[in-house]
Amino acid sequence: MTRPALPARTPWRQLQDRIATGLITAAGIGVLLAILAIGVFLFWETLPLLTRFETLSLERLSPLAWGTLKAAIAALVVALPLALGGAIYSALFMSERLRARIKPILELMEAVPGVVVGFVAGLVLAPWVERHLASALALVVWLPLCAVLAGLLWHATPARLRGWLPLGRAGLWLLPWMAAMAVLALWAAPMIEQRWLGDDLVTLLDRRFGLDYTTRNTLIVGLAMGFAVIPGVYSLAEDALHDVPRSLMEGAQALGASRWQALWKVALPMAGPGIFSAAMIGAGRAVGETMIVLMASSNAALISLSPFEGLRSFSAAIAIELPEAPPGGLTYHLLILAALVLFLFTFLVNTLAETVRQRLRRRYRSGGGR
Amino acid sequence: MKRCIRPDRPCAHLALWLLLWLAAPAWAAAPVSGTLGATGSDTMASLVLRWGEALTARHPGINVQFQAGGSSIAPSALVAGTTRLAPMSRPMSPEEREQFQRRYGYAPVELRVARDALVVVVHRHNPLKALTLSTLDAIFSTTRACGAPAPVSRWEELLPTGDWPYGRIALHGRNLASGTHDLFRQRALCGGHFRDDISEYPGSAAVVAAVGESPRAMGYTGYHHLTPMVQPLGLIDAAGETIMPTPETIQNGEYPLSRYLYLYVNVAPGEALPPAERAFIELIMSEQGQRIVRAAGFVPLPADELEPLS
Repeated sequence: MTRPALPARTPWRQLQDRIATGLITAAGIGVLLAILAIGVFLFWETLPLLTRFETLSLERLSPLAWGTLKAAIAALVVALPLALGGAIYSALFMSERLRARIKPILELMEAVPGVVVGFVAGLVLAPWVERHLASALALVVWLPLCAVLAGLLWHATPARLRGWLPLGRAGLWLLPWMAAMAVLALWAAPMIEQRWLGDDLVTLLDRRFGLDYTTRNTLIVGLAMGFAVIPGVYSLAEDALHDVPRSLMEGAQALGASRWQALWKVALPMAGPGIFSAAMIGAGRAVGETMIVLMASSNAALISLSPFEGLRSFSAAIAIELPEAPPGGLTYHLLILAALVLFLFTFLVNTLAETVRQRLRRRYRSGGGR
Repeated sequence: MKRCIRPDRPCAHLALWLLLWLAAPAWAAAPVSGTLGATGSDTMASLVLRWGEALTARHPGINVQFQAGGSSIAPSALVAGTTRLAPMSRPMSPEEREQFQRRYGYAPVELRVARDALVVVVHRHNPLKALTLSTLDAIFSTTRACGAPAPVSRWEELLPTGDWPYGRIALHGRNLASGTHDLFRQRALCGGHFRDDISEYPGSAAVVAAVGESPRAMGYTGYHHLTPMVQPLGLIDAAGETIMPTPETIQNGEYPLSRYLYLYVNVAPGEALPPAERAFIELIMSEQGQRIVRAAGFVPLPADELEPLS
């Protein structure tokens, strides 16, 4: 790279520049050192535990590790389809004007504090789902089906009518349709429950399958944390997809590819690494998220696969116990070890995501070739 | 029926004397001022703050600052010397005492300031009224150290006649590091281990809220956290008598899960307390102080246990 010719600098401006550069460099190094110091501190504090090499720490931490993983998986199962679907639609198919409005609104979701999400999930959503489990599950299955149904119906409508329902604005006219379908499901589910199952679904799960139902369970955590993860994943994946050079998509369609083929064969492979890094950053957030898991889960240290049972994650355990754990005790050291594991994990996930994203950026810059 | 718990003390007239002594215009003397720091139990936070307000009303110069962080931070704050007053919801452990002794060369003064209890709560419509202590242990523990023959995990086993509530008992409790968790483990589980599927909450009010919203739930919490959403269970003693957690049974110790709340004071033998601290303790031991205890939802001390700091 050649530098453009700069205007002659006065010594004073040169000094200013030097000071500014020095400050910025110092701040950067400071941040790096701080991160390193956190790692060293955590490692130092867990040394007494590691040197003793007891199985106790493994025994106490493995339910927490499982809980963390389970919560993150649940959140991603909820968030990824919604966020990626939304990103694909708004980046490639939505009308530009609508996109300019919708995207900031979705990104605003990220500003909702975790405490508020956790509070609503734990105190409003969890008791409601426990009382209306059948309705809640019906919604989860029924709404995606309705979206597909809407697509089929749209295909079947005569072309004259389709002008009223443009694809680029499907996000708007689908809203009343989905709302109507949700109301239908909520109205029908209790009747189906009574008629065919003959009992409340929670009782039935217990009687028929011996499944335990906890009020604040993995399902609730997944929904709440999914909600929190969606904006981040959506925003990054949308950027990656929107940055796919238009010429490539248009070229593919000009050669006869359908919209669907252009999406699968051109846009997704191009933006793949970006989407992957978006998912990784979502996973990192889900693993590190504290307040939502704390408030929406039962905090019972269990190792179970059931989505209807509670969990306890590293971050929630640290938040609850550390203020009251006497420094230097066993609980304290175990919690610090948990913090170390959490730190390493989020560090790795974020580094991986960032590396992949940098590589993608380089690929776009080099002209979109493969 | 008031019983004298410590027969070694001539309780009745001593108490009367104390009350008279405390009601005397001791505070009317010199104006007391200063900032009073206290660190400790968050169970007692509301209580200490109310005492602080009353103290400020009495001596406008005094300003009470309370740092609530749990009973286990109180001893370290006391040892570090950042505070002279440490409210705790449990007695100090021998190790904590030892630490203090090593640092200062004398033992901290232990004052009993109020009575409290752990209560077992269920949903307000639950037909269950009382449990034996061993059944309670069988519900909450895996060890059954109190002698129950088999674990109890379902409502049908507790209420054989009714068909409601049905299913697994959803258990709710406090987090591992809290004093409430520890006390319940020692007193109700006979030192055993909790089951691992108990939902844990960082605060007692959250336990009550969770139990209040589900008919299948059972939990334990502090007496002062009771709300109309939940009903406390009585405990059946060895004689087959049901003891409900009421102010009387908690005050006289009949209710098995009752306890004292403590205030630990760092004062050397023979040293006079600073006037602000002295006024605070005098307030706690006064009739007004004990009225505040009741207002905060705890149970006042029996009259014969009000002791002044000498």
